[in-house]
Amino acid sequence: MQYAVTVLNGLALGAILFLIAVGLSLVFGIMDVLNLAHGAVYLVGAYVAVALIEGHASVAGFVAAVLVAALVGGLAGAALAGMSIPVRGHLDQALLTLGTALIITELISEFFGNEVRSVAPPPGLDASVGLFGQAYPAYRLALVVVGVVVAVGLHLLLERTRIGATLRATVADRQMVEAMGIRTRRLVISVFAAGAALAAVGGVLAGPVLGAQPGLDDTVLLLALVVVVIGGLGSVRGALLGAVLVGQVQALGVALLPDQASFLLFAAMAAVLLLRPAGLLPARGPAHA
Amino acid sequence: MDVPMPKSSRARRRSSSMVIAALLTGLATACGGSAISGEQPASQAAGGPATIGLVVPKSGVYAPLGADMENGFKLYLDQHGGKLGGKEIDLKVSDEGEGPQTGVPAATKLVTQDKAGAVVGIVNSATALGLRDTFIESKVPLIIANAGADDVTTSGGSPYIWRTSFTNNAVGASLGAEVAKQVGGEPVYLITADYAAGKEMVGGFKKAFEDAGGKVAGEAYTPFGTTKDFQPYLSKIKGTGAKAVFCFYAGAEAVGFVKQYDQFGLSGDLPLFGTGFVTEGAVLDAQGAAAVGTQTSLHYSDLIDSPKNKEFVTAYQAAFKEAPTVYAVQAYDAAAVLDAALAKAATTDGEAISKALAEIGAVDSPRGTWTFDAEHDPEQPYYLRKVEERSGAYVNALVSELAKG
Repeated sequence: MQYAVTVLNGLALGAILFLIAVGLSLVFGIMDVLNLAHGAVYLVGAYVAVALIEGHASVAGFVAAVLVAALVGGLAGAALAGMSIPVRGHLDQALLTLGTALIITELISEFFGNEVRSVAPPPGLDASVGLFGQAYPAYRLALVVVGVVVAVGLHLLLERTRIGATLRATVADRQMVEAMGIRTRRLVISVFAAGAALAAVGGVLAGPVLGAQPGLDDTVLLLALVVVVIGGLGSVRGALLGAVLVGQVQALGVALLPDQASFLLFAAMAAVLLLRPAGLLPARGPAHA
Repeated sequence: MDVPMPKSSRARRRSSSMVIAALLTGLATACGGSAISGEQPASQAAGGPATIGLVVPKSGVYAPLGADMENGFKLYLDQHGGKLGGKEIDLKVSDEGEGPQTGVPAATKLVTQDKAGAVVGIVNSATALGLRDTFIESKVPLIIANAGADDVTTSGGSPYIWRTSFTNNAVGASLGAEVAKQVGGEPVYLITADYAAGKEMVGGFKKAFEDAGGKVAGEAYTPFGTTKDFQPYLSKIKGTGAKAVFCFYAGAEAVGFVKQYDQFGLSGDLPLFGTGFVTEGAVLDAQGAAAVGTQTSLHYSDLIDSPKNKEFVTAYQAAFKEAPTVYAVQAYDAAAVLDAALAKAATTDGEAISKALAEIGAVDSPRGTWTFDAEHDPEQPYYLRKVEERSGAYVNALVSELAKG
């Protein structure tokens, strides 16, 4: 029973990772842009939570923080999309987005200082509940629910709507979609904005678990990249599977093999790259269409 | 129009870009910036003010500690009219950054270029280790005001390496007998971050604890800097039958560990012990109510009831609008040590100052009276502190002075 709680905990971590990684994955899939500022956008969300909540938890404050983070993240994403569309080549994109990330994080640390900050969970979710005979923070259970809701919502949006169909077609072959008279530019910017908004909201939602501090953006970006590599590019299902796997490696893997804890994550990534170089569930491209 | 690439090779190209990006991100974090240190002709003013270097982190994860240290050092200078030992001080401050790749050049520049008579500061132990031989060779004293690695000071003591802070081993050891007494023969679990400081503190504690008859239920070393979730470890602790836990974490890991220790229901049943850094300074504000009841050992608490400390706390609060931390005191004492040495030194060059440092005797500090031991580490009192809530704020309340092991 000791491991049941650990598995659940891996799912809660996976839910956070999914919110962050799905935007990174879709943007890379649809635009071929590697957005290294994604972690910085996450950090912006975390500090929105610090500014609006920190120790004074209220449901209204939490909802406000989520909305403000979504707005700020969306605007940042649109701005990043506007900057990176004219830039070709992965190295130039990496320089542009990494530079932007450095500027954003430096501004945050000027404004908020370098101390570790924590965010209180909303009232009602700030207690621990008994689960399999162990105490478990209720907030983490809520995170699992949020992760499932967002995953189902995104899946329906992509698989059951016209926008989703256009988006999937753009991932598969952007030139063909344009040749059919569909303007992909607006779509591409919207996806970038939505992905960044999700990352910023992830920053708020992860606040009560991970807190906020300079440098957290790197940790989170690295984990999100691993999720995308494991899951496969440009697909919601891939990001979900990758996030759940990385969550379990970080929780169950560490519980079972504590001495190898440092290597497990990258061992898992290396194994996936050897066996399925495109990731476990990449976007369905023209070859399968 | 491009010829569409077969899907598999296209996806492979993309995923290899992602791998490279993942590695690059890791590298960028590891490297930080690196300073350029060039040789320039420096003018050494004879008979002028004494040049003293202060190397503390002004950027990166240790920046809050650096700010406290700079405050402590400058407070002492201000209280003495900008003079140490009656000599005007030309203070050169430089940024230590996070690790040796920034800290070593920053401190080396102060010696080679600015011709500092002594250098104070250094938070990171790896930086201190990287600088040790440079200072011994240039015959300039390095007064370490934080870095606690046991190996920084040499056995027998180098005339050029001094430390006003602590050794990791001694901070851990100071709590050993006390915990053995409190748990009364029940087993204690040890957990810390997997790096030198963690191992040295837990090692020091374990030896003192076992010497006092304590039993260890188990040990865990969590990956340093990357562990955000302690649930797998906390779950395991419960299964070992431990009746208390001793830990060492700093910064974000201290916040995460103490909060999760509470959230996963351990704080109710298993008292948490640790070295004082677990609940020192800004991390305590972030831990909040979760930290209440945690007992730690440290060579300072701002609640020490002595005239010297009260005077210091009042002056510090008036100047910086916050309570002083142990980091501020360590730097404040480094200034006091230099004050005493410069009063005895014939000239303001490194060799004269290091000779004088050996003769200063006891230091009357806000933490109590202490002296340099044979290794030039502080021989000092350690205090048992317990986190309490007092009028809405969380403090490390002073319980007692710990008996010397």
